[in-house]
Amino acid sequence: MKLAMTNFSIKHPWIVMLVIVVLTTVFAIQFPKVKFDNDPENMLSQDEYVRVFHNQVKEKYSLYDFVIVGIVNEKHPDGVFNVETLQRIHELTYELLSLKQGPDGKPVVTLTPRTGDKSELTIDLTPESSWSRSLNTAFKHDPNRLFDDEGNSAIIKREIISPSVVDSIKQSELGSLKLEYLMEAPPATREEALVLRDDAMDNPLYNGTLVSEDEKAICVYIPIKSKTYSYNAAALVGELTKGWGSDDQVFITGQPVAQDTFGVEMLVQMATSAPLAGLVIFLLLLVFFRRLSLIIAPMIVAVISVIATMGLLIGLGFDVHIMSSMIAIFLMPIAVADSVHILSEFFDLYHRFNDKAKTLRHVVGHLFRPMLYTSLTTIAGFASLGMTPIPPVRVFGLHVAFGVALAWILTMTLIPAYIMIAVPHKSLKAIGRKRSDDVSTHGLFSVVLARLGSFSYHRWKLTLGVTVVVLMVSIYGITRIQVNDNPVKWFTKTHPIRVADVVLNNHFGGTYTAYLTLSAKRPDAHNCEEKAKVISAEAEKRFRAVLPEATDAFLIKLGELAQLYRNVNSSDMKKCFVELANEAEKIDGEATVSWNTLADEINYLDPEGLTYVSLEASVHKLAGVKDEGKAVLLQRLADFKGLTGDELMDKALAISEEYADLSFREFVFEMETELTAPLFKQPEMLEYVKRLQEHLKDSAVVGKTSSAVDALEKASYELNYVEPPADASEEEKLAYATRNRASWNVPDSSAAIGQVFTQLEGMKKKDSLFHLITKDYQEVNIWVQLKSGDNVDMEAVVAGVESFASREESPVAVNMGWAGLTYLNVVWQDKMVRGMLSSLISSFVVVLVMMMVLFRSPLYGFLAMIPLTVTISFIYGLIGLVGKDYDMPVAILSALTLGLSVDFAIHFLERVREEQKKLGSWKDACTEMFKEPAKAISRNAVTISVGFTPLLVAPLVPYKTVGFFLAAIMAVSWLATLFILPAMLTMLKAWAFKNDS
Amino acid sequence: MKKTMISMMVVVLGICSGVFAQELSVEEIVKKANEASYYAGKDGKADVKMTISDSKGSARTREFTILRRDGDGGDQNFYVYFKAPADVRKMAFLVWKHVGKADGRWLWLPALNLNKRIAPGDKRTSFVGSDFLYEDVSGRGIDLDKHELLASSDTHYKIKSVPKDSDTVEFSYYNVWVDKKTFIPQKAEYYDKNDKLYRRVEAVKVEVIQGYPTVMEAVASDLKSGTSTVNVFSNVKYDIGLSERIFTERFLRRPPKEVR
Repeated sequence: MKLAMTNFSIKHPWIVMLVIVVLTTVFAIQFPKVKFDNDPENMLSQDEYVRVFHNQVKEKYSLYDFVIVGIVNEKHPDGVFNVETLQRIHELTYELLSLKQGPDGKPVVTLTPRTGDKSELTIDLTPESSWSRSLNTAFKHDPNRLFDDEGNSAIIKREIISPSVVDSIKQSELGSLKLEYLMEAPPATREEALVLRDDAMDNPLYNGTLVSEDEKAICVYIPIKSKTYSYNAAALVGELTKGWGSDDQVFITGQPVAQDTFGVEMLVQMATSAPLAGLVIFLLLLVFFRRLSLIIAPMIVAVISVIATMGLLIGLGFDVHIMSSMIAIFLMPIAVADSVHILSEFFDLYHRFNDKAKTLRHVVGHLFRPMLYTSLTTIAGFASLGMTPIPPVRVFGLHVAFGVALAWILTMTLIPAYIMIAVPHKSLKAIGRKRSDDVSTHGLFSVVLARLGSFSYHRWKLTLGVTVVVLMVSIYGITRIQVNDNPVKWFTKTHPIRVADVVLNNHFGGTYTAYLTLSAKRPDAHNCEEKAKVISAEAEKRFRAVLPEATDAFLIKLGELAQLYRNVNSSDMKKCFVELANEAEKIDGEATVSWNTLADEINYLDPEGLTYVSLEASVHKLAGVKDEGKAVLLQRLADFKGLTGDELMDKALAISEEYADLSFREFVFEMETELTAPLFKQPEMLEYVKRLQEHLKDSAVVGKTSSAVDALEKASYELNYVEPPADASEEEKLAYATRNRASWNVPDSSAAIGQVFTQLEGMKKKDSLFHLITKDYQEVNIWVQLKSGDNVDMEAVVAGVESFASREESPVAVNMGWAGLTYLNVVWQDKMVRGMLSSLISSFVVVLVMMMVLFRSPLYGFLAMIPLTVTISFIYGLIGLVGKDYDMPVAILSALTLGLSVDFAIHFLERVREEQKKLGSWKDACTEMFKEPAKAISRNAVTISVGFTPLLVAPLVPYKTVGFFLAAIMAVSWLATLFILPAMLTMLKAWAFKNDS
Repeated sequence: MKKTMISMMVVVLGICSGVFAQELSVEEIVKKANEASYYAGKDGKADVKMTISDSKGSARTREFTILRRDGDGGDQNFYVYFKAPADVRKMAFLVWKHVGKADGRWLWLPALNLNKRIAPGDKRTSFVGSDFLYEDVSGRGIDLDKHELLASSDTHYKIKSVPKDSDTVEFSYYNVWVDKKTFIPQKAEYYDKNDKLYRRVEAVKVEVIQGYPTVMEAVASDLKSGTSTVNVFSNVKYDIGLSERIFTERFLRRPPKEVR
């Protein structure tokens, strides 16, 4: 039964070959349909809450992913604020703004040098090296793709952030205010450049974001329609700035660029690492078996497994993601493992049978069970990834599981078929004789193994003692594991993106972005009674002393309405205020009307030649104004008889308005404005946001935060700014400065806030305010810049905000929500870790059950789990101890380790039983175990570990990590198997071998 | 010059050139269109309800009253007085439009008790955060562009206007459809430097008031950002005899009776 497949292959090798060729072709023809996806956002499924929320926030505040271009000048004494550098930045900005698609699809920009005429420049971003070009072709990466299907630029021009196109409010001649771009035109002189520097430095929205505090750097933020354009956009900037010389250094970074670049380089990695791994394995097999014709077979198994698995993935419509790009490299060493066992034994035993078919039947016969089970455990390990909540990991795990299954079938069929067809008797005879020498105890390898075996047997207590110590240290290490990742750190330290990341985070508030949004918990909640209380208190304050009776009348009406409109929604609220205003108007009565008429009449007088006498005459003539009013005005004005013209008019107006303003109706309007203002036009809410920002700033990783409050305060300052007169004394100047500084603040009423915001709405760059606040002013967005994209740092910031929120209650209850790529990473990382842990536990259980079934013994089942338990503990303990972050690649290793490292134990224990049965003594069996069986296990361990080593030279860190740890896992589980299992068996021989003795 | 009107918000200044069946030259058409749009009556007044909408469905409204008075040589003064929403109530704007040179602008923020002069700046910036530009409100100088009559139908002239100095504006040209009867520019479409249509201003509703064809509803759309603004005019009156003195800083602080 178990030989059915192999027998068929031995009898009909050509049929087997044909079937395999056909199937492989079917899978291979799927390849041209391949699609790549290098967006780590897809680590979370589309409908994941945080992702949905992230997209909502982006949509709500019109936020885009940015390519961040930093221009640093360390040489010039004025830093970047020199005429030449600013000119370049200005030109770069306008070149980006002029980007359009040429007739051949290539990007075209308009050059507008300060001197000389405009000209159009067609740019070709195709790389020069033919290797890169052919990769681009193979992976369908069009380096000139900077436009959507309709030919629209991928750069969202109106949202570019650059000194040339951001708003600036500044003081201008005659106390006027200038609203224009920070750099309307590049400065022509040093003085102009320094003015620009001061304007930028004085703007809290730009200092630390657009310009660096040390004045050495400027950042241009280029928003792109989708992250997948960022690699090309970065290349475009590189091309446009390549002639800039060495003083102005250009650095390009940002999460989108990092992610997109990773994707592009990942493809290169795939194209190099997998073949390299194949080559290394091939060479290794050649060293072991020294016969080309023989070792081609396992190579074919590996290649077909990879082709079929990738073909399946592509055929099923999955994108090749960062995870699935590693399929080939994972599958190759695993796929050859079984073949190595077969070949290894086939070699050692051929001389015994001198017949290919017989030898094959023998070898497959007694390897069948361990091979089946090792494959099943590996499959279980990978398939358990199918239970993680991360879609690309699921796809990866299930496909590798498929590949392993296929490799097993191929080993059972293709290898025998191949040996029957392609390996001549002659060459086998020669090898057989030669190898029979090897099997003796002479080889160095064999000597070492034999000593190892005897050590484990005789020094079992020491061995187990050391194991226990290692385990304890490992567990301590595991407790110190730090879960952390940062896509930028996926690049090696010398990679331009990593370098740019360091440089720019050094100069600026941070290139990592997160958004903290605040919105009301219960929008539209109105408490009429509370509002009535506020109104009545304010009315008392304002009117009681001057209009006691009217105040009483007003308070009675207010009380009635408050009773009537208790718990109402906002539209009723409006009605309530309208009614109150009508009542107030009645209370105001004729007096107010009269004073207003008087004020109007005065207002329309011609100030030219106006004197007290002529004013008095005009006032007396007025109709519709009460005589008492006229008398009061003239009497109070009598003290100012010396005034004339405008001054007199102003005085008269001021007096009249003093009375006209004693209006309950106006008061009601004012109260309505304050009490029904949207959440983020309320002064106390904005103060809360300000405190929250201050709290955020306390964190070492937060370099900078920006919010609508910053914009508001700056605008309030500039609007209220008063230039001291030229002849002011030092003391006066100081007083002016104090006064001006005081207006750098949140205005104290909703009306004042609303009016300042209205100015910001009408800035030159339309709607830029609405990146930070919604148009209805009900929600705000705080742009948090972090200096580090590490998850632990982001998590610390999130925790800090939570503690702030619990310590300082918001005046109105708000929901706080996080968005932004830096935050998204935290979420999928967290899912990854949990997912991996549960998949590890579940596959552990599955494998344990399988082992018990395989060995038909709970004891052997547990024994089989020991080496892998030690290995996993050791590897993760090591990670914890050396402080290596538990990141994406490390996480996927856990499930993998389980499937791979149990293999050795299976082979070992299976043989132990056989030998024990044959020899009847554990001591003899143990000696025998460290001859041929231990050798087969060792060969396998070496093949797999060395097979992964090409990953070590990879330019991308996750691949390096996987390469290193897989090699380490193989080495440790090999050692664990050969040391611990014999020692355990020695200790437990009374139970382990009771049936045999 | 006798015409009047208050269509400050109408945008489009059309000017065109072109001689055609009516033997009007394009310059004449443009001049007539400019007069019909911005110079109806000696002075005028209108209440405006402005609704700014975006592609996400949010809408903000503003209500204001606008006064206009013509001076000499095409110069005009405008007074804009806000009534709603509540927080900007009583906020006021004063604009002195000068043909051929920079405008004067003043701002009154009652809640800050603040009167501020705004330095002359780019006229092609948003008017109070809407999709209308200052230039739409007060008119674009007809000499700033070169006009060409592209077509003449039974009802409209289609005129293409190309800026003489393209560096000062964000468009590369715009087309205006001028109504042959009223000379009101019905629609203007702006093309960016990549020759893509990105902005449209339309007179949706035109009525004759006191003999002057008057735009009663105008829409400006930003096709790139997906926002649009509708201005609905009401209580339009011409030749009401506004005092020149209303358009001074004094009347910012205490608004004229005409706007209350």
